[in-house]
Amino acid sequence: MTTTDDLLPEGLADNLPADSAMLGRAMRAALDAMDAHGYDRVSPPLVEFEKSLGHRMDGLQTRAMFRFVDPASLRTLALRSDITPQIGRIAATALSARVRPLRLCYAGEVTRIAADQLDPVRQRLQVGAELIGSDSVAAASEVVLTALAALEAVGVENLSVDFTLPDLVTTLAAGPFPLDEEQADAVRRELDAKDAGGLKAVGGDAYLPLIHAAGPFPDALDRLRAVDAGGALESRIAGLEQIAAAVGNRARITLDPTERHGFEYQSWFGFTLYAGDARGALGRGGTYLIRGTDEPATGFSIYLGQALPLLPAAEPRAMLYLPLGHDGEGAARLRGEGWRTLAALSDDEDPCALGCTHRLESGEAIPL
Amino acid sequence: MPQSDLTFAVPKGRLLDDALPVMERAGVVPEAGFHDKANRALCFATTREDLRLIRVRAFDVATFVAHGAAQIGIVGSDVIEEFDYSDLYAPVDLDIGHCHLAVAQAVDGEDTDGASHVRVATKYPNITRRFYERAGVQAECVKLNGAMELAPSLGLAGRIVDLVSTGRTLKQNGLVETQRILDITARLIVNRAALKTDARVAELVETFRREAEARANEKATA
Repeated sequence: MTTTDDLLPEGLADNLPADSAMLGRAMRAALDAMDAHGYDRVSPPLVEFEKSLGHRMDGLQTRAMFRFVDPASLRTLALRSDITPQIGRIAATALSARVRPLRLCYAGEVTRIAADQLDPVRQRLQVGAELIGSDSVAAASEVVLTALAALEAVGVENLSVDFTLPDLVTTLAAGPFPLDEEQADAVRRELDAKDAGGLKAVGGDAYLPLIHAAGPFPDALDRLRAVDAGGALESRIAGLEQIAAAVGNRARITLDPTERHGFEYQSWFGFTLYAGDARGALGRGGTYLIRGTDEPATGFSIYLGQALPLLPAAEPRAMLYLPLGHDGEGAARLRGEGWRTLAALSDDEDPCALGCTHRLESGEAIPL
Repeated sequence: MPQSDLTFAVPKGRLLDDALPVMERAGVVPEAGFHDKANRALCFATTREDLRLIRVRAFDVATFVAHGAAQIGIVGSDVIEEFDYSDLYAPVDLDIGHCHLAVAQAVDGEDTDGASHVRVATKYPNITRRFYERAGVQAECVKLNGAMELAPSLGLAGRIVDLVSTGRTLKQNGLVETQRILDITARLIVNRAALKTDARVAELVETFRREAEARANEKATA
């Protein structure tokens, strides 16, 4: 009998065999692609001190993490909601003496205590890579290409990358379009919503052209270039052009210079990955600073659960039924050849109902 | 490139009458059945083959677009502020449907609220809470879906936060506006992911922007 005790909490779900197999394959494919690009895998723990998760990068908040007191140390622990700060910690501590640039990758589950308005999911599989020691244009290009390679390996088609300049308002507010702190916050908020009317209302008229500088890459970049910011944007525009050239036609490229959603700690460059008909982003990445050592880094994260609906259904697999009293050695040999086997427990089983496609008879696999 | 149909969400009610001419100038013209009051359908074809129109409640316009179930829509900025959806862009101020959001109290009512705590009947609990928070006041909101004006006289809440356009409804119910919270106009809204992955959405935004600019210029020269 099902009681309400058997319900899973909101935003948490079981992955049943079909989804589980797809997720597992996708994770392996992504990890292999990152490995092939020279990234070493690390596996940090699920739980850490809240402080170490929260202070590694600017703008990170531990509010959305599951937190509790550690009975051993009496300090607050938190369940990770993002693996990137953990990689930052590893780079700043255990691997601080390694030669830079340091390339690390990871795959693991992350959780958050509260879902957001649009996405109820509270546990996700995060896969990503971090290039530590550089936030140059070359590093950014490599990371974008590695992210695309990982998604291609997973089997996602019609990729699209959206470039952004996360610290744009901070840069402009300190230079050509001065704003005080309070105004800058209001301008950021209106730019987040691309609210032209709201932006005028808070005195951010100078920032209006930035809303219009969003869209397909070459055109949007021309519009950004037309924003006269006294040279403050030149190096950034040049950087974006080089990264776009590196991507070539492997993905559709768009630019949205004021996009900040999901870019809490990124510095000059950020990107969001989209694909085909997917309603949400598959992942994002960018340049940032690891606090503590103040080391620059570039990285990306993808959430494979988001990609699942985009993947083709798995081909049905063959499975060999091993009747009672079968030849054990012969079966082991067939498994060695790649067969998947299912051994009988009793006489009255229906091999077809159990999902078998073949039956072992005198050392041969006979189709059922 | 996704080539599925685009869905355009429009709100039921007063704003729609102002929005239809704007949409028409931007090339979004619904089929004849849309104007038929007796027609109970919710989904309508347009003169564009790859675009359909849905007519839903104002708050639902924002929800459909934020979730990507509709790619584009028209809604008042009050709704955008109330939800504060992260996946919603409001790139064009359509300059129609002007009104404002205000606090109102009974003309002759005495203030029963304390200095740090107020009780407010409203359709906009989030905006109300944020507005009072900024003044250091904790607002206890009673969520109503309509007829807020009844709340003060029946003792449900001392004040209300509601839309005001002419002020006539307030007056007829013995209320007076005490604070203005927010000026409101209708905005074209789009889904973030749709804007970035579907070029047709960006084109529509551009068309509406040009239409709004042309209208502003006409107004300036008139």
